[in-house]
Amino acid sequence: MQHKQTVMVIDDDDIHLYTTKELLSSSRIEVVTHQGSFGATSRVKAVKPDLLLLDVNMPALSGANLADIIRPLCTELQTPIVFYSSNDEETLRELVAAHGAQGYICKGDVTALRNKVNAYLAGVCTNCRG
Amino acid sequence: MQEHTTQNSAIPVGDLISSSDRVAAQTVVSAVSDLFFSTPNLEALAVIDGMKPQGLITRTKLFFTLSRRFGNELYARQPIISIADTAPLVVSDDEQLDGVIDKAFARLPENTYDEIIVTRADGTYLGLLSVKQLVIEQSNALSRSVLLEEMATARAQELERINQVKTKFLANVTHELRSPVNAIIGLAELLRIASEQGSMEQVRERLTFMISTATNLRGVITNILDLSKMEAGKMDVARQLVDPGPLLSEIAETTRILVGTKPVAVSVVMPAEPVLISTDPIKLRQIMTNLTSNAAKFTDRGSIEIGLSIHDSGMEFRVRDTGIGIREEDLNLIFSAFGQVEDASTKTHEGTGLGLTISRNLAKLLGGSISVSSTYCNGSTFSLSLPLRQIETEGEQSHAA
Repeated sequence: MQHKQTVMVIDDDDIHLYTTKELLSSSRIEVVTHQGSFGATSRVKAVKPDLLLLDVNMPALSGANLADIIRPLCTELQTPIVFYSSNDEETLRELVAAHGAQGYICKGDVTALRNKVNAYLAGVCTNCRG
Repeated sequence: MQEHTTQNSAIPVGDLISSSDRVAAQTVVSAVSDLFFSTPNLEALAVIDGMKPQGLITRTKLFFTLSRRFGNELYARQPIISIADTAPLVVSDDEQLDGVIDKAFARLPENTYDEIIVTRADGTYLGLLSVKQLVIEQSNALSRSVLLEEMATARAQELERINQVKTKFLANVTHELRSPVNAIIGLAELLRIASEQGSMEQVRERLTFMISTATNLRGVITNILDLSKMEAGKMDVARQLVDPGPLLSEIAETTRILVGTKPVAVSVVMPAEPVLISTDPIKLRQIMTNLTSNAAKFTDRGSIEIGLSIHDSGMEFRVRDTGIGIREEDLNLIFSAFGQVEDASTKTHEGTGLGLTISRNLAKLLGGSISVSSTYCNGSTFSLSLPLRQIETEGEQSHAA
């Protein structure tokens, strides 16, 4: 029996959380969702996800700023941080570079979402820039 | 000033003539000398024969010649042309300032500051140029061009700033439009999966989410279109007589739905006397709905009070809440589109960020204004002030109707 890998999704929008969870959940992947930035750090500590999908535009603390806070923990857990957002690619590429994330995935492309998540989980995409 | 633009060389010297003093070539020197004595401001005279310049006599040169040993005896009875400079600098009236100054300073040092004769195209005498005056003009033109350059730089910087605001605005608009569309795409994919699996329960759940997301998207689009319409000055006001009572009660009802299960009491405070106001009810409703939905969003407990009061100076619609309030430094930003200070990528407030901008523009259209007072962590009060002339008593209304 293969061990299930965990993807944690942080987003302020409950419909995006729902959609991402339903799209990714499978026999191999367990999806944990967390709404908003508050309490995200302790949640990551508890869940120890294999991949973190981080929304960018969130109230109070943006995903980019949250990435700065959470990065040491994720480095320790060897959890890639990947921005998952509706911003345009150029912005996301800049944010990845500026906040030391492992990459980005554009919302709205279901195939790319599944493929990239699988690649990160397989460890073949740790330096993927998108 | 403006026609001289940034190029100081673009000033024709014909515009700068300081005098048209002249003397006939055969006038005796003593008469010219008397003229210089009696006219202290006279610096030079063109010596002309008929209409054409023949030479130039300056005050300095005349007195220098006469004060030499036997000068007076030798020249006083002679015609002025005999002691005049018969090869003065002569320029055409359409020559440019810079070129003429260059010519003036190319002369022998003792002649450098001699006046310059200006002629028309046909060679007839027009007037004299003072070199000192030309130099002053040149320096003025230079400082004008520096000033214009500074103005141009300032304008360019302002345009750059506006451009940046527009770029940020566009980035925000793009994100606000894309986010719900992306959710809808995800939900559609999930619906496809659910329908393939025949799970009606999931189909129903996902359809509900999809409808609510699409409705939000429509709201965002309406807001953006409204804003562009207002900025283009294309939004009309359709006034009619409105009883604000039922309107505010209905808005309160909607607010209660938005508040949901949060312990927030929603109340309406109306003036004791019934009033009818002349306004655009759709726009008034839009403003009040925006203010109350903000109140509902940012108030977790306490109360939201929707009120109307009539003063001598006007009427004031009010939405007072006990919500999280607004930081003082953010108070003047909240009415700008998307707060304008925030990047789409680092935006920290939910919502389209256009509601208050639209409300303020709508208030302006109705001849009024919106103001806010707030203490952070201690609630906010938004006030919509409209001019009193819109108020009519019920008695007056029967005339108007």
